[in-house]
Amino acid sequence: MKTLSLILGASLLFSTFASAETNLPDRQTELPAHAKAASTEYLVPRDLATIPNTEFGNKVKQGYSLFVNSQTMRGQYVGNEQNCANCHMQAGMKANSAPLWGAFMAYPAYRKKNDKVNTYAERIQGCFKYSMNGVAPAVDSPELVALTAYSYWLAMGGLLDKYDMQSTQIPEMSDAVVQLGGKADSFVLPETIAAALPIEQRNKLAGRGYPKLAKSAQTPSIERGEIVYKQTCSTCHGDSGQGLKQDGVQSFPPLWGKGSFNWGAGMHRVNTAAFFIYENMPLGKSIQLSNQQAWDVAAFMNSHERPQDPRFTGDLKANQEQYHNHQGYYGKTVNGKVVGENAFPAEAVD
Amino acid sequence: MPMKNIFRSIIGLSALLLVQAPAFSATPPAAMVCESCHGTAGLGTPNLAPMLAGMDKDYLVEQINHFKNGNRKNPSMTSMVMTLATPESVQQVAAFFASLPAPTISNIEKRGDNVIITDPARKLVYQGDWTRNIPACATCHGPSGLGVAHFPRLASQHADYISNQLTAWQNKKRTGDKNNVMATIAQQLTASEIQHLAQYFAAIK
Repeated sequence: MKTLSLILGASLLFSTFASAETNLPDRQTELPAHAKAASTEYLVPRDLATIPNTEFGNKVKQGYSLFVNSQTMRGQYVGNEQNCANCHMQAGMKANSAPLWGAFMAYPAYRKKNDKVNTYAERIQGCFKYSMNGVAPAVDSPELVALTAYSYWLAMGGLLDKYDMQSTQIPEMSDAVVQLGGKADSFVLPETIAAALPIEQRNKLAGRGYPKLAKSAQTPSIERGEIVYKQTCSTCHGDSGQGLKQDGVQSFPPLWGKGSFNWGAGMHRVNTAAFFIYENMPLGKSIQLSNQQAWDVAAFMNSHERPQDPRFTGDLKANQEQYHNHQGYYGKTVNGKVVGENAFPAEAVD
Repeated sequence: MPMKNIFRSIIGLSALLLVQAPAFSATPPAAMVCESCHGTAGLGTPNLAPMLAGMDKDYLVEQINHFKNGNRKNPSMTSMVMTLATPESVQQVAAFFASLPAPTISNIEKRGDNVIITDPARKLVYQGDWTRNIPACATCHGPSGLGVAHFPRLASQHADYISNQLTAWQNKKRTGDKNNVMATIAQQLTASEIQHLAQYFAAIK
């Protein structure tokens, strides 16, 4: 833990943020999935209407707006038809839907894979690169400042209320502190909360990520998944996974194709998608599919082409071996075609 | 002289077209019966019939079929749709009303445009209430409730119609939605929320 603190301190002081654009470490490490916890344990963020009318409050508000309508960043940072809120229900507040409060409290996090401590801001940069098929805004950009401020606000409000400090205002913190994340030594929590939630516990908040789904009895099948898709999903996501768009506004997200998340995004993993789908789909209903159907439809969805993995440098096999040792179809042959060979352009920004 | 005659004929013909175009020439015979309640412009009549103008064609086809197969229960509509005997006539009527212009909305509001929303109905529209698993209405019904493909437009729809429908979803007089999503959401709404939501959407002009 001491070593980690030192690393963190060093990162803070010398700021490794700038290197984010020059290399592309595998930041999309699999989202940790745990068994579902009792709902009473989840953090419940405060009502958006309580965001103060201050400079800090305005950053929080902007973060919310960017989160639900990410298309305002289209062409600059966002290269597809996705909005953050497509995969994080209730504008990132909902437990078991990869809530921002759960992620915020889990960073900075040390990753064995790139031997680096990633800050929360850097984690969000990964979302832009992969899930949004775009180019990450700089850490000190208004967009990243806003998104991290919003995440912090959700987490802190939820924590204060959970620990019976409903009347305590959410402390306003500097951008630098907020961008590190809630697991940093320098992140100050009220004493009672700090005592109840030591640093090593903060990345395990109940409701973080998508709840783990038991393996299906049968190996996930693209063919069975197609049937599930047509029966259940196509009404909102379209016959060819293109989503639904009206008057230039993409209301339902594309699940594959050029407007979708790319081959580096966490959601391209069959298991992550199965966890998400089982718990969160259909919208407003949640858990409707059987365990097997969720796995099958996740396989079907993720067997289609999407934008290229931005880490791809021309050798599909090499990229697969380096970054795709997990449950997914990248580099594998489906219906006679190697998935990833016909991928759409990555970083589709102007 | 022949020139003058031709000129006269052109004027006569134009006048005829001008008079006939909006009211008659476009209305397919099968849709005539609909117009008595839904209006020649498809704008509906309060406390009688909803606005159909500009609705998605596939949505309208779906709804006519729901009346036919009993998924939607309404005594007058159940008998009215029986006049549309063939799938072609259903298509024709739906295409006709879909082609009529709906009132245009000047200030379209997207999710995220406003963060602090105090009006409870408007909050449901743009933010939902996830403690009851209610997503923002605008997620499926679009910015300002303008509709998204076969998810119908709610903006400037008659308030009585919207509240009747939400109640119909609750008491299962209206069914047939894919995955039962709208029925599930409607079950969560209180009577007062239904009234306020209906008024909110009706007032979007």
